[in-house]
Amino acid sequence: MSKLGSLLRGWRLSEYLVIIIEVCGSIALGIGIATSLLYVLGFDPGKGMALLLGGGFTDPDYLLSRATFIMMTGLAFSIPLMAGLFNIGGEGQMYVGGLVSLLTAIYTGNLLLALIAGGAAGLALGLFIAALRVYRGVNEVISSIMLNWTLYYLTIYLITNTFYDPLAPHESIKVPLSARLGFISINGFKLHVIFPISLVFILLAYYVLYHTKIGFEIRASGLSPKAAKYASLNPERAMIYAMCLGGFFGGVAGALNVLGFTYYIDTLLTTMYGMGFDGIGVALMGRGHPIGIVFSSIFFSMLIIGGQSMQMALNAPKEVADALSGIIIMALALPYAYRMVLSYLRARRLISRGSY
Amino acid sequence: MEVIESIVDLVFLALTSMVPLLLGATGEIITERSGIVNIGIEGIFLLSALTSTIIDYFTGNLILALLTGILTGMIIGLLHGLISTYLRGDQIVAGVGLNVFAYGISVIALVTIWGTFGNSPSVLTIPKFKIFGHALSPLVPISMVIATTVWYFLYRTGLGLRLRACGEDPKAAEAMGINVLRTRLLATVIGASLAGLGGSYLSIDWVGQFTKEISAGRGFIALANVAFSNWNPLMAILGAFIFGFFDALAIHLSIVSLQPALAYLFKTIPYLGTLAVVSIFFKRTRIPPALGKPYIKE
Amino acid sequence: MSELAVEMRNVWKVYPDGTIALRGVDFTVNKGEIHGLLGENGAGKTTLMRILYGEIRPSKGLIKVFGKRVNFKGPWDAVKTGIGMVYQHFSLIPSFTVLENLYLSLTSLKRNISLDYVRKLAEEIMSKVGFDIPLDAKVEDLAIGVQQRVEILKTLMRDARVIILDEPTSVLTPIEVEELFKTLTRLKKLGITIIFISHKLKEVKRVTDRITVLRRGKVVGVVNTKDVNEVDLARMMVGREVFLKLKKTLVSPKESILAIENLWVRDDRGLDAVRGISLILRKGEILGIAGIQGNGQKELAEAIAGLRPVIKGRILLENEDITNLPPYLRYRKGLSYIPDSRSIGLILDLNVVSNSILTRLRDFVGRGTSILWGKAREFAGSLTRRFNVIVESLNTPVKYLSGGNQQKLMVGREVATLPKVIVASEPTHGLDVSATEYIRSLLIKLRDMGVAILLISSDLDEILQLSDRIAVIYEGRIMAIGKPQDFTLEKLGLLMGGVKVE
Repeated sequence: MSKLGSLLRGWRLSEYLVIIIEVCGSIALGIGIATSLLYVLGFDPGKGMALLLGGGFTDPDYLLSRATFIMMTGLAFSIPLMAGLFNIGGEGQMYVGGLVSLLTAIYTGNLLLALIAGGAAGLALGLFIAALRVYRGVNEVISSIMLNWTLYYLTIYLITNTFYDPLAPHESIKVPLSARLGFISINGFKLHVIFPISLVFILLAYYVLYHTKIGFEIRASGLSPKAAKYASLNPERAMIYAMCLGGFFGGVAGALNVLGFTYYIDTLLTTMYGMGFDGIGVALMGRGHPIGIVFSSIFFSMLIIGGQSMQMALNAPKEVADALSGIIIMALALPYAYRMVLSYLRARRLISRGSY
Repeated sequence: MEVIESIVDLVFLALTSMVPLLLGATGEIITERSGIVNIGIEGIFLLSALTSTIIDYFTGNLILALLTGILTGMIIGLLHGLISTYLRGDQIVAGVGLNVFAYGISVIALVTIWGTFGNSPSVLTIPKFKIFGHALSPLVPISMVIATTVWYFLYRTGLGLRLRACGEDPKAAEAMGINVLRTRLLATVIGASLAGLGGSYLSIDWVGQFTKEISAGRGFIALANVAFSNWNPLMAILGAFIFGFFDALAIHLSIVSLQPALAYLFKTIPYLGTLAVVSIFFKRTRIPPALGKPYIKE
Repeated sequence: MSELAVEMRNVWKVYPDGTIALRGVDFTVNKGEIHGLLGENGAGKTTLMRILYGEIRPSKGLIKVFGKRVNFKGPWDAVKTGIGMVYQHFSLIPSFTVLENLYLSLTSLKRNISLDYVRKLAEEIMSKVGFDIPLDAKVEDLAIGVQQRVEILKTLMRDARVIILDEPTSVLTPIEVEELFKTLTRLKKLGITIIFISHKLKEVKRVTDRITVLRRGKVVGVVNTKDVNEVDLARMMVGREVFLKLKKTLVSPKESILAIENLWVRDDRGLDAVRGISLILRKGEILGIAGIQGNGQKELAEAIAGLRPVIKGRILLENEDITNLPPYLRYRKGLSYIPDSRSIGLILDLNVVSNSILTRLRDFVGRGTSILWGKAREFAGSLTRRFNVIVESLNTPVKYLSGGNQQKLMVGREVATLPKVIVASEPTHGLDVSATEYIRSLLIKLRDMGVAILLISSDLDEILQLSDRIAVIYEGRIMAIGKPQDFTLEKLGLLMGGVKVE
């Protein structure tokens, strides 16, 4: 029995090891390619990578604030993924969340209302995508991308046409002071309050996923629809709930961005563009777990800011950071390869032990 | 009279716009009928548009540029194919990663080669021929011929039958002696090359330069076209025209209307239109049963 | 002596985990005969034939086909030697036409052939055998009996001289069975050798020339069909030393608690799997459903549990009609279901605690919707202690537990709350001896406490050991019900093979 115990322990350790290998391996691969990319493009790879990886730490407030938004869009992708859906609509959910919260803030001046409205808008979008999938069979990848682009142009239209600031036509009307999320001071260190708020949301997500019946239903349905039905759970309902949750957090990402960081939307959506997709990378690296997402969002944020500082210092394009994250995502799509290697090693071990 | 002229304009614009939607969809039909889903079409469009523009810019040789675009597609198809078949990776995640990566590389290239963040300089484009006073690219009829050929191949030949078997029931296909993994890899490579051709078209045929916005979701509209066409390249011709028409409508309206801001609103038409069409037609489609699931022997 | 079509000598098959599927089997088939291969589940019939067909390699043994020694590396070698196999589950692509399927299977042998060639060849062979299959129809639109003919046609088009049929009648209607027998006779006239795997005594008796009976991987006997009757076959198939190690107190009949009235249920293919079964289950008794897998037991259990819709008939629990209640309400009313597969009864990626509350989630949910993990952990802990489930920690994902421990967890979960009725489907399937003994004594204990148990098992030993009453199921109907003493082994074998006896 003790042999069994140690074997079990050995397997579990290797399961954690696998996750660590996968994440580190993908990062290493990405760093390797990024370094060569810099070299090929004629930049000093050493200096470049140093800035890329280190530049994020010069302004911790900026680092954490930046991480906030992709933390939320990370949840927007990972929660539906647990139920088996690919929510690529984080972008659109963020835009609509930002837009609705901006408009609500302008018209009511109420912070709480604006925040809730932003989340609700994202939720509505998620619900729509889920309904299309469950009742019309429309693949959520297609519907979410279409909605992304639709909302992108719709938001730009509304900002340029109706809600622009007459003093600064490339920007929207600013969020009234009464509806702004400000700063807090910790030991004299000034921090945007949106980061702590996002941590609260992470805890909320964690609670819902792991401590409520609906969270259980979502996780069970995604892992084994057959067993879920045996347990009287409903996989389709789980999908809808998961998309509503995911959409909600996507909307919150936009609301936090507008109400707590930029205080306006610009006509090119530069402050929000791409964060939905970054959220996907964040979710994958965080293995879909809310706590993991916190760390991976800080990591990605570090990369993005590092890219910016690299650009400013060396004039190298900051999109190297994008390329890096793309490679990491692709590498993370290979779980089976790692597992194949591991089970091959395990089988070799068993055979050599003579337990054949 | 003016209305008819506008409609004719629209039709020609739609024909122009439909090429990448048709090529991308046709290629993806081949890939998906074998059981692999490649949502990285958008990325392929971007990257092959980029590489063809580069070759065109430095050599002025259009044939070479076109071939480069196709080759770019092939290489990406090989990568995605390997991940999806022999490495048994998650196909959707790999596709997403591809798109993100492609976007990043595009901008990097723009900066390093031409020093801009927006557009490349204009390049030579494929000469058009004139019909009814409108210019039309030769790729328009060529893409339709390609689609028809692919249809014939998939549904009227033995090889096409074997390919489709891989997407219907890989276990049965394997039992009949078909090498499922190899067939799927080949299908992915060929499908991606067609997308590569479509991407080339975008830059060196239609727009005349490379911009980071050159695809603007067209890869995903091509995916929608795959579903709309019910995995039939002939229907994809119709679908590409319809979706292209939405695009044309958006462009036309923004030119014709007097309010420049409205242009943005019009730009939503292709996406909303696609969404509407897909929502109405998706239920009737029949997805290849083994689509997206990695084939694991035993 | 007629020429031997197939000769297999001293064939052994041992699996890496130690299971011995075949022990020194000698199997010969004369050319041009129809040879029956008879045995229960797990007797080794399918394993033996898969070796002949090249799908598996024997651990030891000699195989000759038409006098020539062979060493198949895969089915393709077997096909080239003239062996064809028709499985229970066809390897046809449903959305393709018959012609397309035939074409696909032929192109693997000969590369450059045309559809026309395939069509002509098919028509030629069909006229010889008396088939009339619409070549341009989609396979999924054809009746199962016709689909099976396509499979047979496939083998003939590949020049098969030996055709193996694995439980061919399990998917056919009675009329289709007659048609199949006619086909087999015609094939025999054409000189084709046929191996007919079955557990159905009547059919084997009707259509074969000789029969080999396997039991637990050994050959029990080889007979000429006309020299034996069904009773002899049943005895050979089933006869064994039955160990009645467990002491059971005799039970006096108590009141009924579960009533099933004229139940009709369909299987996944849409065919009737349960055809008008009526049963009464009493408190404090174990009713064992004996039968070979695939005769409707699974669908019966799932219908009672609420996982499969009922076409006709009623299910009454303590006189309350539960026919249309969702599973969790049935569980609340005191019904428990132990499914035959751990991938349905457990979610392998979730940990022990989550799996412990899987079917009773609502009992562990506090005000609103929050899960009471503290209570759940306690419950999980008590489960692992009471039912001897060995786990490192309650947080271990269940997939890391051994099969036996997983099963004990699943069974324990369903049994811990002392339900009124337990439906147990293959409760000891795939378990080692100690786990099996544990679960069996557990079931007896429960019975002694007044629980009513419906035991479904393809293991006759288990049924005989545990049941207070036995019902034999065959093709969705109950052939007979009675006390174990009322049945001799032969009678059981006959009933399980479809022969009605008084």
